[in-house]
Amino acid sequence: MFDTHPAAGGSSLVARADRRLSPVEDATNFVAAIFIFLLMCLGIAQIVLRTVFDTPLSGYVDLVELSMAGMAFLGAAYTQRMGAHIRMELLLSHLRGRGLWAAEIVGALVGMGIIAVLIWYSGAHFWRSFELGDTTIDAEFPVWPSKLVVPVAFSLWFLRLSVQLAGSVRMFIDPSRAPEGVTLMKNAAQVAQEEAEEALAASQDGKTDGC
Amino acid sequence: MLIGLGFEYPLLVGLIGIGLLVLLVMLGVRVVFAAATIGLLGLVELIGWGPAAGIVGIVPHAKSTIYALSVLPMFIFIGFVAFHAGMTTQLFNAASKWLGWLPGGMAVATVFATAGFAAVSGASTATSAVFARVAIPEMLRYGYDRRLAAGVVAAGGTLATLIPPSAILVIYAIIVEESVGRLLLAGFLPGLVSALIYGGIIIGWAKVRPEAAPSVGGATWGERFTSLPPLLPIVAVVFIIISAIYQGWATPTEAGALGAGIVFAVALFRGTGLRPITASLMETAKLTVMIFSLIWGVTIFVRFLGFSGVAEAFTAWVVSLDASPMTIMICILLAYAVLGMFMDAIGMLLLTLPVVYPAVIALGFDSIWFGIIVVKMAEICLVTPPIGLNCFVVSAVRPDIPLPDVFRGIMLFFIADVITIIVLLIFPEIVTWLPDLMRN
Repeated sequence: MFDTHPAAGGSSLVARADRRLSPVEDATNFVAAIFIFLLMCLGIAQIVLRTVFDTPLSGYVDLVELSMAGMAFLGAAYTQRMGAHIRMELLLSHLRGRGLWAAEIVGALVGMGIIAVLIWYSGAHFWRSFELGDTTIDAEFPVWPSKLVVPVAFSLWFLRLSVQLAGSVRMFIDPSRAPEGVTLMKNAAQVAQEEAEEALAASQDGKTDGC
Repeated sequence: MLIGLGFEYPLLVGLIGIGLLVLLVMLGVRVVFAAATIGLLGLVELIGWGPAAGIVGIVPHAKSTIYALSVLPMFIFIGFVAFHAGMTTQLFNAASKWLGWLPGGMAVATVFATAGFAAVSGASTATSAVFARVAIPEMLRYGYDRRLAAGVVAAGGTLATLIPPSAILVIYAIIVEESVGRLLLAGFLPGLVSALIYGGIIIGWAKVRPEAAPSVGGATWGERFTSLPPLLPIVAVVFIIISAIYQGWATPTEAGALGAGIVFAVALFRGTGLRPITASLMETAKLTVMIFSLIWGVTIFVRFLGFSGVAEAFTAWVVSLDASPMTIMICILLAYAVLGMFMDAIGMLLLTLPVVYPAVIALGFDSIWFGIIVVKMAEICLVTPPIGLNCFVVSAVRPDIPLPDVFRGIMLFFIADVITIIVLLIFPEIVTWLPDLMRN
């Protein structure tokens, strides 16, 4: 939660890969956001249909459960870029230069290892479901599109981790370079400053509230 | 050699796994990667590659597409939109009209205004940031002690996690497989009690030092009642969620959706543009992914722990200890207090509960009660050094109030929090009464 992603303006390979990947991540996270918005609409519709018209949507729970894959996974790479997957920074915050980048390299490698395994085996999980033609119990919706989201989103996540790994290796080789394609840590005071600014900006938006 | 000490092999692997997990997390590896990796390696060691990889491939999708979890994005969305709907000034205005006449009245008003807003926003630090801007200038204008003014804003934000809607209580419910609805109901009274104890301790302090926290009278009944209507959306969201769960006319997700719809409509009505709304949605999606990733990552680790028998062994050990359950509980809470200084509350709960929770239940404690206590402990860590993020936020908004002053101001509320924990230890009914009422 304490990280930031600097805009990559450089011409290095890492910076270019970063610029290619970012719009795709923004788009998938936006799709996840749309899923969440639709979940809200669906929930309200379900209450109204059930309590007012006594005709609840059939298959509502199935629909919600299948669509949750969109919310849970599509934004994974975006969240990685924003540095929002939580970690403990007790040690990291005391590291500087090569030590810090070495730790970032370890972190990226561990992430890539497990995500690679997950892409393969969640892919297998999807494939079984596709071949068997699995459906949900209640409304008999096909399950495979929902399961397909996992390997697809994780592949994007893997690409983002590769960019971060390359960015960290680049910095490890020469810590004096301008950071590209990596997340940078902020200390508590910086986070606080940003939280404060965001909150102020937000309350400016709602300025009509007559203060 | 450890085997020689009497550990069975799976247990030994489990303990080594926990050690490695702690090491990776300390090194700063993201918790989801650390937990899933160690979980996978441990499973491979205990049951072999084929079955292990099979389990690991299924967990993310299976664990993330559970209906009960769909309430999380709704609660998170309510929080982000609530900021753009901008109800803070009106809330503070109403609270000060109604409570300003008390000794330390403006500070008491701040407690209830932050509690009300934090309840809906669900975000402690952000709430403190907003109220530092809204409430501190007012308090200073009436001659309030600046440390008190800063402390009350930092502490008030922490009331977010107990009063519904609360995402962290949902997460606790999911991990320990309790009813989400019962936990959400259980948080309401302790949240209220916390706010009342904050208020009480301010009044007591103001009696001793009236010059540092004067009462502010003069609001007419007419003014008081006209200050209320703008608060309706906030009251409506909390009321809808509690009543839907209590009376069962909607699931938590549906109630959350309705609450989000109301806040969303208010934001549109107040002229919030498309850009902040899109930003709220993007932030909601980001936080949702973060939480879901933690849940499936830690679940992979928990599958491994299940095969290792560590949790059973820990439970057996704790139960065999020659100490009263209450003494053990206090030790557990102190351990959480230390851990919370260095770790995010959600990560801390997810990582520790799989081992600690069965032991707590075996000692005879109520699962819902323990959830409320643990979440309250995690919140206290938001205002204590060295991290104390809320305090940093207040100091960042008000550079004229240095950090040490904020930490000094928070002392009063730290005492109040300790009192709250003691009250909840002695009277667990405050937690369990409302959810038990629902069950009957």
